[in-house]
Amino acid sequence: MKVAVLMKRVPDTASVFAVAADGKSVETGGLKYVMSPYDEHAVEEAIRLKEQAGAEVIVLSAGPPETKETLRSALAMGADAAMLVTGAENAGPRGLAKALAAALKRMAPDLVIAGKQAVDDDASQVPERVAELLGIPHASVITRFALSGSVATVDREIEGGSYTLEVPLPALFTTQKGINTPRYPTLPNIMKAKKKEITEVGVAELGLGAGDLAAGMAIESVSLPRQTRLKKIIEGEPAEKVRELVRVLRETEKIL
Amino acid sequence: MSDKLTDMRFIRFLLYEVYNVEELTQYPYHADHSRETFDMAIDAAYQLAREVFWPNYQEFDRNGAQFDGQHVQAPKGMHEIWRHCKEGGWFAPNISFDDGGQQFPMSIFAVTSFLFSCGNTSAAMYVNGTWGAAMLIDKFGSEALKAMYMRKLYAGDWAGTMALTEPDAGTSLGDIKATARKAPDGDYYLISGVKRFISSGDHDLTENIIHPVLARIEGAPAGVKGISLFLVPKFRVNDDGSPGEYNDVATAGIEHKMGLKGQATATLNFGEKGDCRGWLIGEANKGLPYMFELMNRARVFTGIQAVSGASVAYQWALQYARERLQSRDVTCRDVNSPQIPIINHPDVRTMLLKQKAFIEGALGMVLYCAKLADRMANSSDPEECENLNLILEVMTPCCKAHLSNASVESIIQALQCFGGAGYCEEFPVAQLLRDNKVFSIYEGANGIQAMDLLGRKVAMQAGAAVRALMMEIGATLAEAEALPALQDLAQKVQEVQNEVIETTMTLGAVGMSGQIQEYICNATAYLELFSQMLMGWQHLKHAIAAQRALDSETGEAPFYRGKIETARFYANTVLPHAVATARMLKANEYTALHYAEECF
Repeated sequence: MKVAVLMKRVPDTASVFAVAADGKSVETGGLKYVMSPYDEHAVEEAIRLKEQAGAEVIVLSAGPPETKETLRSALAMGADAAMLVTGAENAGPRGLAKALAAALKRMAPDLVIAGKQAVDDDASQVPERVAELLGIPHASVITRFALSGSVATVDREIEGGSYTLEVPLPALFTTQKGINTPRYPTLPNIMKAKKKEITEVGVAELGLGAGDLAAGMAIESVSLPRQTRLKKIIEGEPAEKVRELVRVLRETEKIL
Repeated sequence: MSDKLTDMRFIRFLLYEVYNVEELTQYPYHADHSRETFDMAIDAAYQLAREVFWPNYQEFDRNGAQFDGQHVQAPKGMHEIWRHCKEGGWFAPNISFDDGGQQFPMSIFAVTSFLFSCGNTSAAMYVNGTWGAAMLIDKFGSEALKAMYMRKLYAGDWAGTMALTEPDAGTSLGDIKATARKAPDGDYYLISGVKRFISSGDHDLTENIIHPVLARIEGAPAGVKGISLFLVPKFRVNDDGSPGEYNDVATAGIEHKMGLKGQATATLNFGEKGDCRGWLIGEANKGLPYMFELMNRARVFTGIQAVSGASVAYQWALQYARERLQSRDVTCRDVNSPQIPIINHPDVRTMLLKQKAFIEGALGMVLYCAKLADRMANSSDPEECENLNLILEVMTPCCKAHLSNASVESIIQALQCFGGAGYCEEFPVAQLLRDNKVFSIYEGANGIQAMDLLGRKVAMQAGAAVRALMMEIGATLAEAEALPALQDLAQKVQEVQNEVIETTMTLGAVGMSGQIQEYICNATAYLELFSQMLMGWQHLKHAIAAQRALDSETGEAPFYRGKIETARFYANTVLPHAVATARMLKANEYTALHYAEECF
């Protein structure tokens, strides 16, 4: 069985961010890049499948050449091979999905797993678009994955509950936190990863032109979140204060 | 709050932009490596440090190692940390592939050790101690001992210690009393004696614990020349490699310490029942030289531990100073204006920069030493090796003593940034301060390091080590002189270098005249002066790399400008103290030496 994992290289969210001079992008100098954390869950799930059922795990990404470093991290977790699609760096979710789908068509995996969203733009679009382009079923935000023959049984998280679905393969799934705990890279696996192959393929080679990669949207502006803290002091007797606090948390802030 | 333990960007700057560790991959031993494997290893270590070591840090302080009268339990979280280190191969990063390691350079191992130590020093000590015990067997043990013990230690299956200190023999190792009597019917010795302050001395992390023990074979010469090194397992090992019979190594207790409470620092009784077996490592009566070969490395590691605490404290202080609102700008008269983050107050800013300048200079020193060790281990040119060794010898006591003195000072500055909150235990800074103090004491107290520097290293081979070091510093000065923006910095470092040379000659004359006590009585001040020169030199190296990056406009200008300004801050605020210390040293200051005891 062949399992493909979609992975995106994103800035570490612990970095200090600044808006670039053009006002439409983020200053990239000095940023540290990592694998998008939801994708770590996807890689982990694929490797578990490999350990349980002997699957071949290929990690796929589209991005700048430095993405190879991040693909190498997935190889150090235990993936077998990796592929990098180049030339779609500025494509946006629509173009990225086309590039990845074209690569997957060649790869013909039985199963595709991806993180539920990438933590840089939080668009949550690429995996679903890929599934549509490939014409295969997909289930998003899964917290459990089990395989029996060519049917996967998965739990999907919804507000206050969960669905259990049976999905025939080939299919695409996106992982939510809680599905597993991604393993740490080990030194022996880091050394093994170095010897594994990362194939590079350009968008032209996949038969994609500028029209395919058009973003279909334009970014007007980028801004940092507001820093000020909103203060609200609740007055009254302790019992009243608690009631009011619970009401605010539930109705205004929608935290409870 | 802060989940940042250190500045990884700065560590990469040191590794790749200042010390060019990538060039080590041209040696056959490291040929399978590249910047990519180095980066992956340090990223993996930092991830473990943040996600596995650090979450246990405060818990280790509250619920440390426990002793029930017989057995020691390591803190709960230590079991998980050990498991991750074992799975990750972290007991043997630099060891050969054949022995289960991954052949990383010491430069990378030093960084990963630093990161684990940032995460939780007590925990990192269990791991480092095991590596150290294995290294002793690796370097000096017989093939039989290696086969039986070494691989298990490098794999993290078993744990290791170093058992030197006794109740009446700490600094004075020549006075140790533990004895070894050759068994009439076997290849082993019967060991008897008490060892104290043994880090990771007993615990429940592994099924066996291996103690390298210093003891005196019956009839051996008195003093340091009659000490041998033995391998003493907690459980004897069966032919199939499994732990067997109990080897009469009893735990008398664990220490109730000021800090490092997660560390099971034990007193061990060897041979209470007369049946503790030990196997000689290497040759008889050579125990101390063997141990010191490892101790020298351990001393640089103590410097690394010391800086790690300062680094974490600084990161917390920095974040607190950015968030804590208190008072207004000193020129602001409007009492209704909002309070400002305390990082804007000049005194707080100075305290932060003091810490940053210490940490960055100190990390420079230890990584410079690690790279020296790498070059030594790989070079086939004996002359080059000897030269590198001399520089490493003279820098080692400075790494150990200066960094552990100044790290405590640095953490005090961090604690001060927190005001009253720093004195309370909800922030980890008070614990970081308590945990850090021991580094000036163990692995050879700092006073001993100072005597080692002045009495041994400076004097060795008629000053050859100092000369070799001064050549290196001179080369850096020449590089800096060629960059107009750094000439003022270079001059300040050179001034201190000249002071060190003059002071060394003045003191040397005192020593040559036979006034040995006078020669040595200000050794601590001399080490301080010498170390500040080293720190200033390291800062200058950083400034050179930063200036070149700025000149080539590769981006990240604030980062590089920060490096140069940090170097300037160190040169302008610390180096004048070095000059003053030199003046004192040259003035034959012996008041304390001649101070009559009854006047105290």
